[in-house]
Amino acid sequence: MERRTFLTTALVGTATLALGLSVYSPEHIRVNKALDSEHRLLFSVLLPVFLEDALPNVETTRVAAQNRTLDAIAETISHLPQEGQAELEQLLDMLEQRLGLLVLTGSMTPLMMRSPDELISMLEYWRNSFIDLMVTAYQGLRELVMASYYACPEHWSRLHYAKPTYFDN
Amino acid sequence: MAIQDPIEEGLASGWKHIDASQLSEGRTLEADVVIVGSGAGGGVAAEILTQAGLSVIIVEGGPLKSSNSFNMEERRAYPNLYHQAAGMKTKDKAIGIFQGRAVGGSTTVNWTTSIRTPEPALEFWAKEKSVTDLSRAELDPWFQKMEERLNISKWEYEPNRNNQALKTGCEKLGWDFTVIKRNVKGCWNTGYCGMGCPVNAKQSMLVTTIPSALDLGATLVSRAKVIELEHHNGKITGVKAQALDEQLKPTAIELNLKAKHYILSAGAIHTPTILMRSGTDDPHQLLGKRTFLHPTLLSGAVFSDPINAHSGAPQSIYSDEFVWRDGAAGELGYKLEVPPVHPILISSKTIGYGKSHAALMENFNQLQVTIALVRDGFHPDSQGGQVHLTDTGFALDYPLTDAFWHSARRAFASMAELQFAAGAKQVLPISEGVSYLNSWKEAKSVIADMELAPLKTVVASAHVMGGCAMGEDTKIAMVDSHGRSHYYENLSVMDGSIFPTSLGANPQLSIYGMTARNATKLAEELTASSLA
Ligand SMILES: Cc1cc2nc3c(=O)[nH]c(=O)nc-3n(C[C@H](O)[C@H](O)[C@H](O)COP(=O)(O)OP(=O)(O)OC[C@H]3O[C@@H](n4cnc5c(N)ncnc54)[C@H](O)[C@@H]3O)c2cc1C
Repeated sequence: MERRTFLTTALVGTATLALGLSVYSPEHIRVNKALDSEHRLLFSVLLPVFLEDALPNVETTRVAAQNRTLDAIAETISHLPQEGQAELEQLLDMLEQRLGLLVLTGSMTPLMMRSPDELISMLEYWRNSFIDLMVTAYQGLRELVMASYYACPEHWSRLHYAKPTYFDN
Repeated sequence: MAIQDPIEEGLASGWKHIDASQLSEGRTLEADVVIVGSGAGGGVAAEILTQAGLSVIIVEGGPLKSSNSFNMEERRAYPNLYHQAAGMKTKDKAIGIFQGRAVGGSTTVNWTTSIRTPEPALEFWAKEKSVTDLSRAELDPWFQKMEERLNISKWEYEPNRNNQALKTGCEKLGWDFTVIKRNVKGCWNTGYCGMGCPVNAKQSMLVTTIPSALDLGATLVSRAKVIELEHHNGKITGVKAQALDEQLKPTAIELNLKAKHYILSAGAIHTPTILMRSGTDDPHQLLGKRTFLHPTLLSGAVFSDPINAHSGAPQSIYSDEFVWRDGAAGELGYKLEVPPVHPILISSKTIGYGKSHAALMENFNQLQVTIALVRDGFHPDSQGGQVHLTDTGFALDYPLTDAFWHSARRAFASMAELQFAAGAKQVLPISEGVSYLNSWKEAKSVIADMELAPLKTVVASAHVMGGCAMGEDTKIAMVDSHGRSHYYENLSVMDGSIFPTSLGANPQLSIYGMTARNATKLAEELTASSLA
């Protein structure tokens, strides 16, 4: 399936993919997970929180910006060294599973079913935690999202910034 | 407008370049000297040795990129030109490390500040670290030589407003400041040094010493990562490298490089890693220990007028007001500078998310950023970090000590005082739990009590040093004061890893000058022995 249409299909479809599915179904039927090796559904839940007020207000440009950021996140992850990728993968897998969610957030409710305020509380809980693992989870995701969002020249207009155009290459 | 690309021209003229990603089978290559790494140390060594008539192979893990691909976007520059796409971190993730990985090494992406090694550092090394023959009187001719070679001269243009704020603050407070010397020729003053100079004005190794060595017949092997040195009876007998693919992932293809003499110039962290992985002699367990970073703190300031810190020479003013104030071994001093401000860099090296972060980013053009580089490795409680081998590479364990945090607090206060003196409306120390401060008075009391801690306070580094120290005492040094191995007669180290402490100044010119001296001596010895 075309990457860009996947996100909307998944959201319009049901909550049974990835995040929701693993909560209600046994491990062995998580077939749809194969479609989401880049954790796009998970990030699509987190982006509006991390990027509140940065993402454009107009719906169509907002969706485009989110999709662009999801692509950029996949790209950023691909440049991480093996160990970094493995750590991140472990974190993302945990956030997509019932037990992992319980360990990391104190609740089994799938992230997709949490309100923006609940997601903010989750991030704040990690951010202010005394456990280094939580703080690094927060910071790892934060840095990944920010770096990927601001990597895209399309997202620079709010900064009133553009790179010089002396030469185009 | 089209910019001439000296790399493309050189390749067309017949340079010997092997891009290991294009190899379909292994290769064995031989020369008088093999140099591992093509940065500040490797580049200078390559030029001097080829000029002396020696045959040289330079082997570099990163790709050969050039101005045609430098498009002033971080998203291209970081994966192409930096280790770990600029996302490298210490083991506990408390310090982010920038280090170049491409032909030219960190010089391809550095910010051009050029400073001779400060005397207090050299004196400390002579007194405490058994380093000989390395006074300023000894080194100054070499600095001068490299300053001429790399067109290093005082930046005569107006500083950009980011640097101007540093200057104004110092003037108002009566603090010391210096106009920076830069290694540039025909600089367009754009501000994109960190993404590879798009107009070849920066006199990095990529456009100076490496092309000159290649013109003289040296061989460059790019995208080939040196895995280990082979050794036998106090001699290095070969270098094994692994070809990387275009994405710099390892392939099964191996290169074997043989030479009379071997030079490690892979930079701090990597030079010790290669030696550790090779199981070379290290009876006092020194390799990788005492790795220094100049751990750096950031302070943001919002001005009413545009600062446009992305534009113009990134660094043109520094202040040494606090670097040596308490003596070399006293409280950790800190150097005040400014960084260039670009979208990925600043969005990731600040704190928070959502509304507060978006608001910060909307002030992008009004944002002045000052940095304090902490001088590590002199104070007894500042032993730096230690490189460990892991299954897939290395980890750098760098504990941030109380002595560091003590200085960090002073540094945050100095930066806020400076920024308010320069006219900032608000100041934001980049550490969790602090909000915008509205006056120096408020800043002073908030900073005195603010929580500072690993992972809460943003700490970064672009100056990786040490881990394979020089000196005459083998209990504390791996190489002698001329960079020759204490254990292998045909091995030298020429890069930032030989510093026994940090420098208290940006490192590139120190590496250029010391390498020029050491490589010249080595060339004399090697040519004399081949005549004999
Ligand atoms: C963003 C940035 C800004 C900076 N700004 C300044 C500045 O303004 N002024 C200043 O003085 N300094 C600055 N520096 C630091 C300065 O550039 C470095 O200190 C200096 O280049 C270090 O020289 P080196 O020879 O030790 O290593 P490097 O220049 O880093 O070169 C080492 C090379 O070895 C290669 N290598 C590593 N391992 C292997 C392996 N196993 N096999 C093959 N090749 C390998 C690397 O890919 C790299 O190309 C900056 C650095 C950065 C990253």
